[in-house]
Amino acid sequence: MFVLSGSTFPILKGSELDYDALSAELRKLRENVAGVTDTVIAASDGIPIVADVAKNIDPAHISALAAADLGIARQAAEVIGLGTLSQTVVFGSEGYMAVYAIGRLSLMVVLGDKGLNLGRLLHETRPVIERVGVILSS
Amino acid sequence: MGNAGGLFHLRDGVVVSAESPGSPGAEVLLLSSGRIEEGDWTAALVESVETRSLPAALVARGIVGATELQGLVLAAVHDGAFAAAVGEIERYVVDERIDPPLLPADEGLRPDVLLAETARRLDALASSSLSPYRDRVVPARGRQPAGLGAERREILAHATGRRTARDLAFALGRSLHPVTVEIAHMLADGLLEIAPAATSFKCTHWGLAALRPRVEIKPDTQVSLRSSEV
Repeated sequence: MFVLSGSTFPILKGSELDYDALSAELRKLRENVAGVTDTVIAASDGIPIVADVAKNIDPAHISALAAADLGIARQAAEVIGLGTLSQTVVFGSEGYMAVYAIGRLSLMVVLGDKGLNLGRLLHETRPVIERVGVILSS
Repeated sequence: MGNAGGLFHLRDGVVVSAESPGSPGAEVLLLSSGRIEEGDWTAALVESVETRSLPAALVARGIVGATELQGLVLAAVHDGAFAAAVGEIERYVVDERIDPPLLPADEGLRPDVLLAETARRLDALASSSLSPYRDRVVPARGRQPAGLGAERREILAHATGRRTARDLAFALGRSLHPVTVEIAHMLADGLLEIAPAATSFKCTHWGLAALRPRVEIKPDTQVSLRSSEV
């Protein structure tokens, strides 16, 4: 794993993301919705941008799976004529993986345990997606 | 409604089910604890589509006794009521739709009995400031405790600092109230401590500051996921 500070790496002018603001959004979501265990914001190409995950979870793997998941769901929505894709949820016997589109270029993954309050998650996520979209594009 | 909130099913004036995202329901207690196999559960679910009774289907398969199942269902009702009461209650809605729970209690609990038991459970935690939804716990530093019971060892093993008492109850497949009480005792005994925010929420971005912002670009130069445009 690389160092956590970006200072060792060349920072292109005008390219600094507000990671603190993104982290605050992920933290709030996990605090406000019972059952959220891990969150990742990634690009649609599967490159992780920022993650708040347990030690045994690799954000790179989650990001790649979520990008593939969202890509096929988006294609299905377009081909079938379901309109613009907003989210896709994987239901497992042990928990959930919800993937939200943030525009066409980014996504947010929310992993949850069996008790995840899906209704509340959908409700709380809408404004989060809006704000994260603004942070990512500013 | 609230955090964690809860859904109470009443029938003929008695509570037959109390579900909450804050407490493992009867299904989680049966499956996560390994009491019954997932295959048996799924098969019983399929069978119950016709008979309209999941408890009957589970008992008919011989994987759990009717008395044991009802005991577990009642425990889940008590725990669901505690989970709703210990959290924030924002508002409530009464709905008359008949949408029966999967695993209802046969006899149900009178609301006054359930209220009294819930009050007793809240009282049991009154001496501790532990919040089962807000506080995330981690094993106390510098302690290598020996001679602990299985329950405490299991809690220590799963207390990553990211998990609240509610999260630990789900991870262990055990009811919220006993797990919360045990964690409160372990905090008092110095076995656990409340994790600092830096442990509970660890956001990393691998120094990827060189990535350009994810700004939507003009459609004619946009990289599309649609195969027809690649």
